[in-house]
Amino acid sequence: MKIVGITACTAGIAHTYIVAEKIQNAAVEAGHQCKIETQGTIGAQNKLTPEEISQADVVIVAHDIAVGGMERFEGKPVVDIPIHVAMKNPKSLIATIEKKLENK
Amino acid sequence: MALKEILNENIIDLDLKGTTKDEILKELSEKLFAEKYISDMNQFIKDIYVREAEGVTGMGNHIAIPHGKSDAVNKIGIAIGRTNHDVEWESYDEEPVNLFFLFCVSNDHDFAKNHMMLLAELAGKLGNDARVEKLQSVSSKEELINLLCQ
Repeated sequence: MKIVGITACTAGIAHTYIVAEKIQNAAVEAGHQCKIETQGTIGAQNKLTPEEISQADVVIVAHDIAVGGMERFEGKPVVDIPIHVAMKNPKSLIATIEKKLENK
Repeated sequence: MALKEILNENIIDLDLKGTTKDEILKELSEKLFAEKYISDMNQFIKDIYVREAEGVTGMGNHIAIPHGKSDAVNKIGIAIGRTNHDVEWESYDEEPVNLFFLFCVSNDHDFAKNHMMLLAELAGKLGNDARVEKLQSVSSKEELINLLCQ
């Protein structure tokens, strides 16, 4: 599947980027395409394009603070989780999403 | 700008002696102070604990990433340490820690933005389990820097 996502942590210095990498790695390892936008102190990086969003099967939003641009995902299945869930077990996060989408 | 520019051998120590969180933070902060990254050690450590109180900085895989986000910061950098023993630290996997990445950043978000971007890139690399595993076995600072820059 095609996954897009956003990460944003409280300080916007480290967790945001680490968790983005973890989700990315877990998704690719499971055979999915994945792009994660990071919203940290330096602003949004690796920004999602409208095209990427429209093609995505699911949106992962891993955050401890409010994220910007949620309106972009209207009509998409959004998995909204705190940072620590993705940090602790990115593989099971992806597996859970796979199951949920299958059952739809 | 390349990642190497924020990595400095003088603020890396692969043989930290501290056995508690307090001691580790002090040892790494001393290095930052000696290299003029920070102007006030007490203030800096106090600010680290402000962030520690907000949430867990033990990432799992025996890594901790305390944040020193402080007005005492003159220069952005990252102090890196490793111990040969386990140190107790609040972490996502509830395991002790032996690799420490102390982020040294200004309270002013617009300060040295280029360096902040490099720091973000570096943080991302810590999300890669294979790389992290290799960090445990590097035997020199140079090796560690090269691994992080790959």
